[in-house]
Amino acid sequence: MDVGIIYLAIAFILYIVSAVKDIKKTKQALIAFGKILLTVLPVLFLVFILMGIVSVFVSKETITSWLGSSSNVFGILIGEIVGSFALISPIAIFPFAGVLRDRGAGYGALVGFVMTGILIGVSTLPLEIKMFGRNFTIVRNALTFIIVFLMGLIFMLVL
Amino acid sequence: MRKILKDALIYIIVTLVIWGVMAIISPGKGLLAGETAFKTFVNSVEIVVGVLLIVGWIQVWVGPQTMSKFIGEKAGWKGLALASTVPMFMGGSLFIIFPLLKTLRDKGASMACTMAFISAWGGKAPLLPLEIEFLGWKFAVLRILFIIPFAIIMGISSQFILDKLQKRRQSTKSPGLDVSKE
Repeated sequence: MDVGIIYLAIAFILYIVSAVKDIKKTKQALIAFGKILLTVLPVLFLVFILMGIVSVFVSKETITSWLGSSSNVFGILIGEIVGSFALISPIAIFPFAGVLRDRGAGYGALVGFVMTGILIGVSTLPLEIKMFGRNFTIVRNALTFIIVFLMGLIFMLVL
Repeated sequence: MRKILKDALIYIIVTLVIWGVMAIISPGKGLLAGETAFKTFVNSVEIVVGVLLIVGWIQVWVGPQTMSKFIGEKAGWKGLALASTVPMFMGGSLFIIFPLLKTLRDKGASMACTMAFISAWGGKAPLLPLEIEFLGWKFAVLRILFIIPFAIIMGISSQFILDKLQKRRQSTKSPGLDVSKE
C-alpha cells in the first residue's frame, strides 16, 4: 500500500532527526515503539480474527438493519452503546469500524462507535471516579454521549 | 514488560480459542475467516508499523511534561484553545490520560480545560492514516474537523453544569449561605 510506505518514510525521517539530536531519546522512542507494538499486535490479532468471523458468519443484512443508514437514529445509539462497552484500544477501533462499514453500517453509527470507543470506557469508569469524583465522571460521560449523538446525526446527513 | 507479555499471551490464547470453536462448528467458514483476517493484516501492517513508530517518537519528544508546560497553569481562553487542539496529537489510552490530567488539575488547570483536553485527545490525529485506510478520507477529515468545536463545547458546558451542581450542593448543605450568595 502506498499510504503505508509514506508513513514509514515519515517515521524514518523523524527517527533520523531524532538520532542526530539525541541518541538516548531515540533509543527511548524505539523502546516505546517496541512496547506499543507488543501491546497492539495481539489485540489486532484478536480484532482481525473477530473481523473475519463477523464478515463470514454475520450477514450483511443483519448489520445493515442494526447499524445501517435506514435504521437512522437508533443505529447511532446502538453504535454509541457498543463503543462504550467495547474494551478495545483506539488503534483497533478503526479496522473494526471498517469491517462494519463494508458490511453496511451507516456513517452516523460508525462515528458513534468510534468516538465512544475512544472516549467512554466502562473499564475506565472506576479510575475516573477515583481521580475526578462522581459528578465529573457522570457529566463528562453523559455530555460526551449526547454531543457524539449530535455528531452522528450530522455525519448521517453529510456523508 | 512482563505484564505486556502476559497480556499478549492472553489475547493470543483467547483469539485461538474463539477461532478454534468457529473452525470446529464450520471448518469452511473458519478457514475463510482466517483468510479474511490475514488479508486485512497484510493490507494494514505497513500503516500500523509506521503509525506506531511515529506514536513512539511523539511519546518521547512530546511527553506529558512538555504537555503540562503548555496547559498546566494557564487559564482562560488561551488555555482552553490549547487544551482543545494540542492533545489530539497525543497517544496513549484513557488509563494514561487520566493520571496526567489529575496532575494538571492539581497544578491549577481549570475544569473546562480538563474536559476539553480529554475530548480533544479523542481526535487521535496520529492514527489518521489508519482511519483513512479503513473508513475513507471524508470520514476522517470530517471527524478531525469536528474535534475542536466538540472539545470547546465539552469544556464550556461541563464547567457550567458542574458549577451549578456545586452551588446546589452547597445550598442544600447550608441554607443560610444560599441567601447571602443570591
